[in-house]
Amino acid sequence: MMSKAVEEIKEPTVKKRNPRRVVAGLAGLSGALFLASCAKNAPQDTWQPKGENAQKIDDLQRPVFAIAGVVGLIVLVAVAVVIFRFKDRGQPIPHQTHGKPVFEITMTVIPALILAGVGVFTARTVFDLAKTDDTEMIINVTGQQWWWEYDYPVQDGISAPIISSGQLVIPVGTKVLLRETSRDVIHSYWIPALNGKRDAVPGRVHTLRLEADEPGIYAGQCTEFCGLSHANMRMEAVALSKEDFAKWVDAQLAAYQSPTEGLAKEGEAVFIAQCSRCHQVNGLENANGDPIISAPEENVLAGAAPNLTKFMSRNTFAGATWDLLNKTCRDNVWNATSEEFGAKYLAGVSAECLNVADLRDWLRNAPAKKPMYADPTKLADTGGLTRGMPNLNLTEDDIDKLMAYLLTLK
Amino acid sequence: MFTTGSKFYLGISTLAAIVSVVFLITNDQVALGCVALLGLMVSAGIIAGASLASRDGGDTENATTSAAADPAPTSSIWPLALTLGLVVLIIGIITEPLVFVIGIGVILAALAEWLVQSWSERASADGKFNALARKRILNPLEFPILATAITGVIAVSFSRIMLAVSKDGSAILFIVIATLILVAISLFSLKPSIRTTTVAAIATVGALGLVAAGITTFGIGEREELVIAAEEGHYSHQECGEEKSKYYDKHVERTVSSKSGVIATVILKDGELTAQVLGIGEGQKQITVPRANPTSILFQNLDDTEHRLTAYLGEKPVAEGVTEDDLRCTQMIGKGGKQVLTVMIKKPTFAEGPYTLTVPGIEGTSIEMIVP
Repeated sequence: MMSKAVEEIKEPTVKKRNPRRVVAGLAGLSGALFLASCAKNAPQDTWQPKGENAQKIDDLQRPVFAIAGVVGLIVLVAVAVVIFRFKDRGQPIPHQTHGKPVFEITMTVIPALILAGVGVFTARTVFDLAKTDDTEMIINVTGQQWWWEYDYPVQDGISAPIISSGQLVIPVGTKVLLRETSRDVIHSYWIPALNGKRDAVPGRVHTLRLEADEPGIYAGQCTEFCGLSHANMRMEAVALSKEDFAKWVDAQLAAYQSPTEGLAKEGEAVFIAQCSRCHQVNGLENANGDPIISAPEENVLAGAAPNLTKFMSRNTFAGATWDLLNKTCRDNVWNATSEEFGAKYLAGVSAECLNVADLRDWLRNAPAKKPMYADPTKLADTGGLTRGMPNLNLTEDDIDKLMAYLLTLK
Repeated sequence: MFTTGSKFYLGISTLAAIVSVVFLITNDQVALGCVALLGLMVSAGIIAGASLASRDGGDTENATTSAAADPAPTSSIWPLALTLGLVVLIIGIITEPLVFVIGIGVILAALAEWLVQSWSERASADGKFNALARKRILNPLEFPILATAITGVIAVSFSRIMLAVSKDGSAILFIVIATLILVAISLFSLKPSIRTTTVAAIATVGALGLVAAGITTFGIGEREELVIAAEEGHYSHQECGEEKSKYYDKHVERTVSSKSGVIATVILKDGELTAQVLGIGEGQKQITVPRANPTSILFQNLDDTEHRLTAYLGEKPVAEGVTEDDLRCTQMIGKGGKQVLTVMIKKPTFAEGPYTLTVPGIEGTSIEMIVP
């Protein structure tokens, strides 16, 4: 009995890690991360500048990363040498000395000089990016949970105010100044290919310069956590040639054309009854011929909802979270050559190209598709106002009509 | 003949009988109150009878050996404080929620003190130990609460004095009182042998003097400047015409808001209004304001006389079928002065516009606010 008891009491076995496996695992992880940098389809890659401002950042960050990389490598090698050379092999403890002034001063002065050098170039870039005196166009950008609104004040080439959302349309080779603010919480505007990020703060106006070298679509993302659907608060900057931009302006300022008959006409009635409370369509009139003015401030906490005047001239909806174009047509626009891009973009969204599935889902139950606190049981917390679009409980018939009507908004 | 208990209840019964008679005389009809009073008379009479029958209190042996024969408890102010708390509570129900809360606070404090005192007096046969037991429990609560209350009273008293004396006088007074406190504390620290009671007496006299001055100045009221300012309501910017407030904030440009990010700076110079718009430059007669978003505009007056900037934001309903101009404005700003004007326009220009910025008293110049 005694011996059996002794047998049962054994030292706990400690599972030793195989160092080779650990090293192999770490190497694999590092390799995967490294290979991720080779991704082709990376529209928000910060290392691919497509404009003057982003180029300035790139010109700064590349040498800084190189210097940081060299310093990091030296430190790593030094640490590795120390670890392997002086590891415990049972040797006696070496003679202890206190300090080495020359070495310490050198190791302080060198990093200080490196930082000072980097600081000079960084400061110069910061001031360059903050310039506003060479602005050629201004656009007001207003953030709210969870979409961006763009309005174009009257200026050279724009004879009346234009208001849009989701996609920022700018002319190529033009120094555009965004004047950012917010209606609710702090957001941050970032199109990596065109410039760095800039916070949009309620009650303040911050500026951000943008300039695109070539026509195309440049993707971005809100980079300040702003609530439940922060990840769904995206944006796209669309750069058009100056001629195409003028066409876009003309199209945006064109008078509203009310559908005359059919499903679209019925959809207009549904829109007036259900959507015009929050969404403005400039030119839309009621039966008496009076303009219909939306009142989003009475229904939405942020006080605004996207103006849908030329809705189908954009390629995205719901805070640029979903495409209005189906995949084939989207790829056709995104992958167009510089020469073809403008014409393809300005064609807008046709019935054949419409992303029916996502738009129908959105109209059927918006908060189910994009989390927006639009839960009717929690409206007491916001004084009856919704954050984002609520579920309007539209019938499938109404959705058919609305889709037909929305397609006419070009 | 009558025992102690029976005397008490007979008294209540007799009093109830008298009051019910008075009640019957003064009221035309038998009311619920009379029934209650008669019920009290009868029930107290029954208890008095039972007390008499059982010779309650007539037992001399128990009178010396029972718990009731223990020494009477020491006098206590807490029943009085409890009553005071109840009165304050009732007054608070009628008047102010704050008074109601104070009443609850007084009641809770009085109950706690009374309960602990009552318990401590029965903790042992040793009076000194009982007193120590009470202190051990209550002092950790009493001292901080008392200190907070005293500090609060002194602070309120001091603020009343500051609001009553002139602006310059308040600064001098502040310096004098602070200096006196500093000197007194320095002297105490130089004389460690000074008796605690002396320090306490000086501090008490100082505090009482401050409170007395606070009560007196509370009676006198705030200085004239503040009274007029409150009556004019200039903080709410009610006056958007040419009129000039007698008192106003002469240093509005020092406020934090004037440093905020503004959408435009509107400048009045030589009787002409122009806007300096970020990114566009000077000399603009039009600014774009986002819809339904508080937007700050900085007004700078470069004219010699005082002016204010007034924003016309459409019409607002004031009664059924009655509207008036919805105006927002800065205060009167002297030469070189600046002030931020924050506006929020809910409807686009084509719905209710045009929205304008003007200077009352100067005709023919304005800035248009475009809301897309």
